[in-house]
Amino acid sequence: MNGTQRRGTRLTDTSLRFTFDGREYCGQVGDTAASALLASGVRAMGRSVKYRRLRGVLAAGPEEPNALFTVGTSPAVIPNVYAPQLELRDGMVLKSQNRWPSLKYDVASLLQVGSGFFGAGFYYKTFIWPSWHRWEATIRALAGLGEAPGTCELPPPAVEHFSCDVLVAGAGAAGLAAARAAARAGARVVLCEREPVCGGELEFEFATIEGRPALAWVDATLVELASLGVRVLTDTTLVGGTGGEYVAHHEPGGVPGANSVYKIRPVAFVIAMGAVERPIAFINNDLPGVMLLGAAERFLARYGVMVGSNLVLFANHDRVYAAATRLASAGMRVCAVVDIRDSGALGAEATAQRATLAQGGTECLLGYAVISAAGGSHVRRAIVAPLASPSATRVIACDVVLVSGGWGPSAHAGLQEGGTTRYEEGLAAFVAMDQPEGRENAGAANGLLELPRVLIDGAGAGTRGARRAGADGDPGATPIASGDPAPRLVPFWRSPADRAGEKRQFIDYQNDVNVADLRATLEEGFVDIEHVKRYTALGFGTDQGRIGGLLGAAILAELRGEPLKDVGTSRLRPPYHSVTMSSLAGLRVGARLRPMRRTPLHDWHLANGGVLEPMDLWMRTRYYRQNGPAVFEAGIAEAQRVRTSGGIVDGSTLGKIEVAGPNAAVFLDSLYLNKASTIKVGRSKYMVNLREDGMVLDDGIVLRLADDRFIATTSSGHGGHMLSHFEHYRDTEWSGRGVTVTDVTESWGVIVVAGPQSRTVLHSVLGAAWQPVLDTLTHMAFARGAFGGQDLTVLRASFSGELAFELHCRPSITVALWEALIAAGFKPYGLEALDILRVEKGYLVSSELNGETTPFDLCMDGLVKLGNPCVGRDLLDRPAFHESDRPRLVGVRALDGKAIFYGGAQLTTAEQPNRPCGYVTSSVYSPTLGEWVGLALVSRKQPEGAVLDCRDPVRIGDCRVRLTSMVHYDPTGERMKS
Amino acid sequence: MTRLTCPFCGPRELREFEFHKTLPEPGSTPYARVYERVNRLDDSLEHWQHVQGCRGWLLVRRNPSSGAVLETVILGGGAQ
Repeated sequence: MNGTQRRGTRLTDTSLRFTFDGREYCGQVGDTAASALLASGVRAMGRSVKYRRLRGVLAAGPEEPNALFTVGTSPAVIPNVYAPQLELRDGMVLKSQNRWPSLKYDVASLLQVGSGFFGAGFYYKTFIWPSWHRWEATIRALAGLGEAPGTCELPPPAVEHFSCDVLVAGAGAAGLAAARAAARAGARVVLCEREPVCGGELEFEFATIEGRPALAWVDATLVELASLGVRVLTDTTLVGGTGGEYVAHHEPGGVPGANSVYKIRPVAFVIAMGAVERPIAFINNDLPGVMLLGAAERFLARYGVMVGSNLVLFANHDRVYAAATRLASAGMRVCAVVDIRDSGALGAEATAQRATLAQGGTECLLGYAVISAAGGSHVRRAIVAPLASPSATRVIACDVVLVSGGWGPSAHAGLQEGGTTRYEEGLAAFVAMDQPEGRENAGAANGLLELPRVLIDGAGAGTRGARRAGADGDPGATPIASGDPAPRLVPFWRSPADRAGEKRQFIDYQNDVNVADLRATLEEGFVDIEHVKRYTALGFGTDQGRIGGLLGAAILAELRGEPLKDVGTSRLRPPYHSVTMSSLAGLRVGARLRPMRRTPLHDWHLANGGVLEPMDLWMRTRYYRQNGPAVFEAGIAEAQRVRTSGGIVDGSTLGKIEVAGPNAAVFLDSLYLNKASTIKVGRSKYMVNLREDGMVLDDGIVLRLADDRFIATTSSGHGGHMLSHFEHYRDTEWSGRGVTVTDVTESWGVIVVAGPQSRTVLHSVLGAAWQPVLDTLTHMAFARGAFGGQDLTVLRASFSGELAFELHCRPSITVALWEALIAAGFKPYGLEALDILRVEKGYLVSSELNGETTPFDLCMDGLVKLGNPCVGRDLLDRPAFHESDRPRLVGVRALDGKAIFYGGAQLTTAEQPNRPCGYVTSSVYSPTLGEWVGLALVSRKQPEGAVLDCRDPVRIGDCRVRLTSMVHYDPTGERMKS
Repeated sequence: MTRLTCPFCGPRELREFEFHKTLPEPGSTPYARVYERVNRLDDSLEHWQHVQGCRGWLLVRRNPSSGAVLETVILGGGAQ
């Protein structure tokens, strides 16, 4: 067909080129991948996922189960693109999927020859020796759909939130009628349509509406909608919704990865998403060339594609004769129309069409079924037989079998949120009912297939939606129309076949579920439709059962000997359509997902060799590059400097919560294990608080600024959580009792000045006015004053074991103060050095405050004994907290003083080498002591001095360690108090 | 449920809020308050915080099975 211009509603005359599996093809601008390949005579477009059978295109929409392509060149590929939806662009590179090395010759498909098919549960049942894991990698390589992208280049979509009065999903006849009625009544209407064009089946149906040809009515309606201010979103699929908010993805050109995500809150929602045609199961009904009838009509109308030259049509309803008439008049030879019904079932219109077809040479078989399709790589023959005597087969030469077994209403969008279905006898399908108020299905989605009724239903739903939103204008007259006749459908699900044939009667094309699988599944005791779904994968995958869901349920009902309405279908879930992760993430990626908090010194660190890492939302300096080639060496050098002379560290990330009011002290008492009310003004205390369940939540220093004013500091990583914790108790138990809680974290920069020379350095930096203060300040006392005209608080407290001062200063002077300290000879250190200093002193670092440790475990028995009734205290008496082998914090060092051990290593005894009695929580190399020291949580049964095996087989190997006091350095604290 | 109405800030996206807990039955023991959480299908009393808004703590009564929010009350007179 190359060389001749096709005409279709979507096509232009401009040609384009693209490649498919390395071969170049021509198409026209407006073509989809499927239409251009079909027009080029390509039948096979992929292989099935399990049996690797060659497959062609079955459908013309996103229900297509097999013609899924990978677009682009590795690694920048997009897999699983629906070929019937993908609009071609010049130079596009397409690949078929699930085949190796090529579509024509696939190694895995050869495995099937002779061995028969893998039945349901084949993998689980077969690859059990010696274990599934032995086989997993090989099987996984063959499994899955498409190639995973090697790069993630999809740009984030624009996310738009809006509300409207009436949201109409689907712009077919019903949707257009609904949108028009609602808009005429004065409602604000949004209409979204999955396809690039509106009209739905009006594109090919023999129809006139309000005296015009259907497509002219569609155009006129769209003009009117635009004038009424209706927002029409094409290429936009409603993928799901919950809580009154519906999500639609705009994917122009059918390329996955929404370019806009709409979150729409309508007052009323009309689901007019049409119905999906279903196939009939017959032998080899998956052979390339077997296609849904409606798909062939769409390919013809929209893209001018003749899907074949000799057609056999197979159906169970009147619509097949109208379709045959249209296909024949386009120039395709309709060899036969195979109708399972007898002549009495046909309506007048179909009878007339049938007579005309017969005159034109079409063989019209009543009471017949297509038993099988045959041919090598695509359909060459249809084997038909009368249903009364299925063995009396006849062969009809053809190149395409078009099948239509009826339609299933697209109720997805509504049913995802609940509601139930009723079985509609005339349609042999389930229709949604019991929809929540404000939501209704209309048209084919409501089980109506005749155009006049569809339009009435749509206009009615639109009017009701508008009324619900308070729009009381005139919705106008309901459009009067004529179209294809009522289907007069007789339910028919599968053609007769013997047991061997049932293996080739496909139900779910994407997951290769056939009739034999359902039979086997029932025999193995999986009866319920939900169990059958999970055992066979019926209804999994990108089509979510739109092709095979109802068909499978009906055949299951037949095999169970029960009516279909009692079997039901499996539950529908969002999304309606496959969605990319980028569409789900929306704008919440990178810095928009996690905003960054910067200390006043953030830029200084970056400009001065700081290597920053995230801590909660903060960025903190791990080490400074100039102090060593890597973190280990730099950390040691920085820590050593603090011990010998001194250093400064940015502590601005500490959470700081100001608590004030007449009851501030008792409020804090109720939140901490020890008491704030006993702190004297001008002094501070190291305090610990518990979760409700008694586990340690956080620790920090609380400063008493005045009788009724405190600042509670929290760990850097816990600031946000602690603030919420305080606010919760303020607003519940302490509500109305005179307590205010204010986050002042960012009102104060914090510089920690630590080291034996810190007082001397501060003398020179802070000036004479501060000298007497610094000389008299005792451990845990603080003084408030000014520096550079701004507030400054100097707190003498230490987390390094050295004489140390915390300078709480206003952010505007933090950098100046920091630089003054550097000018005075102190150098900055980072978190690595901070951890070394802390572990040497046995101070907790974050791995001990892990939410699983009680105050007893952390050797805080003294604080508990104070008897302060606080949050979490009630549960400290639970027996489990006092078991004799509960872990407790202890120091740990290598027995030989040389071995290296890391946090996370398990500790075992010689008696029980396979049962850890504890683990190392933190470890550092102590430059002062010249060996590795650490903290560990170890069973209380192991006394200090016990020798244990330290097991770390993956990282560094085992060693022997000795349990020691937690304080490795300066146990009496002389240096700190000097 | 995709939105909560904060009595201070008005209707806001759920992601601005943080769920804290379902409220224990009145008179529960300390152990029950922590470990025997109430889980009612149709009438759940919960504490939420408008973390990315006014930071007020809210008492929310809702129906988890339908997603309907029945009542939202600001606790403690609201954020100060």
